[in-house]
Amino acid sequence: MVLWKDFVRGLWDENPTFRLVIGLCPTLAVTTSAVNGLSMGLATAFVLICSSALISILKRIIPDKVRIPAYIIVIATFVTIVDLVMHAYMPDLHSVLGLFIPLIVVNCIVLGRAEAFASKNSVMRSAVDGLGMGLGFTWALTLLGAIRELLGSGSLFGYSFVADGASTLGIMTLPPGGFITLGILMAVMNMISDRLKKKAS
Amino acid sequence: MNESLRMVVVLAVIAMVSAGILSMVYGTTSVIIEENQARALESSVFEVLPGTTRVEILRRNPDELGVDDPREMREEEQKTTLIYQGLDDQDRILGYAFVGEANGYGGVIRVLVGVAEDTDAILSIKVLSHTETPGLGDRIEGEDFRGRFVGKTTADPIKVAQDIDGLSGATVSSTAVADAVRESFIEVSALYRGGE
Repeated sequence: MVLWKDFVRGLWDENPTFRLVIGLCPTLAVTTSAVNGLSMGLATAFVLICSSALISILKRIIPDKVRIPAYIIVIATFVTIVDLVMHAYMPDLHSVLGLFIPLIVVNCIVLGRAEAFASKNSVMRSAVDGLGMGLGFTWALTLLGAIRELLGSGSLFGYSFVADGASTLGIMTLPPGGFITLGILMAVMNMISDRLKKKAS
Repeated sequence: MNESLRMVVVLAVIAMVSAGILSMVYGTTSVIIEENQARALESSVFEVLPGTTRVEILRRNPDELGVDDPREMREEEQKTTLIYQGLDDQDRILGYAFVGEANGYGGVIRVLVGVAEDTDAILSIKVLSHTETPGLGDRIEGEDFRGRFVGKTTADPIKVAQDIDGLSGATVSSTAVADAVRESFIEVSALYRGGE
């Protein structure tokens, strides 16, 4: 039951993108298409789960004063592994996301969960928390990417819906489109949450 | 153990373990990464030289390369020292291809240029890699823009605003592609025609 709560927290109540509004640099930069958002989310989720679990294991060994550098080394190691494996086995995807993969190291979600959760809780709970946060980040990025791809390029997951040469909202694939979409989605999420709260009370 | 010594030891051990794991991962993946890149480049040669069934690799200047270590060699090769020759199924030479580079708006743009053997005119070009703005500069990848280079020879200026129409909103990117094509074309053509 506790584990379930740890898991769903990242999906909605403390969703990294829509609720905590952290880690926005990769969020806005890579979500020009649904596939990019999904892959970036999954890469971050992998790093989150692994680093949260490992930091939880090491929490008694790492002295308090050097915990941040120690966490960063652990996180950077996993990020580099993702980067190399993706470059070797998914070269097409890597050529698109390549720039942003190393930046997962400085994504505040990863260090944030290590500091706020993994350093205080059991290995199992930390891993589940990482999974929830990671998937929360993933669905947010995929949704953002899907909307921007649909409006900006007229396609979804690479399948085109409009005739060649038809005009699309080019601004949606540029950074302003990212901010606009993010703002609207956050408003929608707040609206749904408010409705749910009213119903409950 | 006193506290500061413990901090140093723990951090050093974590760093060493990480370095060990990463060197193992790098060892296995770097080979695949290099193979992928070489294969991607070779398959692009088939695209810019239509009808090609076999690709031969010519060194521009084998003596100048002067390195024995294969990994170092590959790095040197990627700095555009190779000419790819396309042959058809009867082993006739169709043309040659080479890589050109220039700085665009967001970084280096690499283009592969395919030139016909008989007419010495450009058959097709392909943008291999770039980091231009999505939606604006990345239209250099498009068929429409790349088609503007077809048929050009070393006698043409190959310059934006002269014989090449730039892309509106992406002048820097268009100019960079034209520069990359022109400079590498002149250099390689002279070598290829002179060095046979």
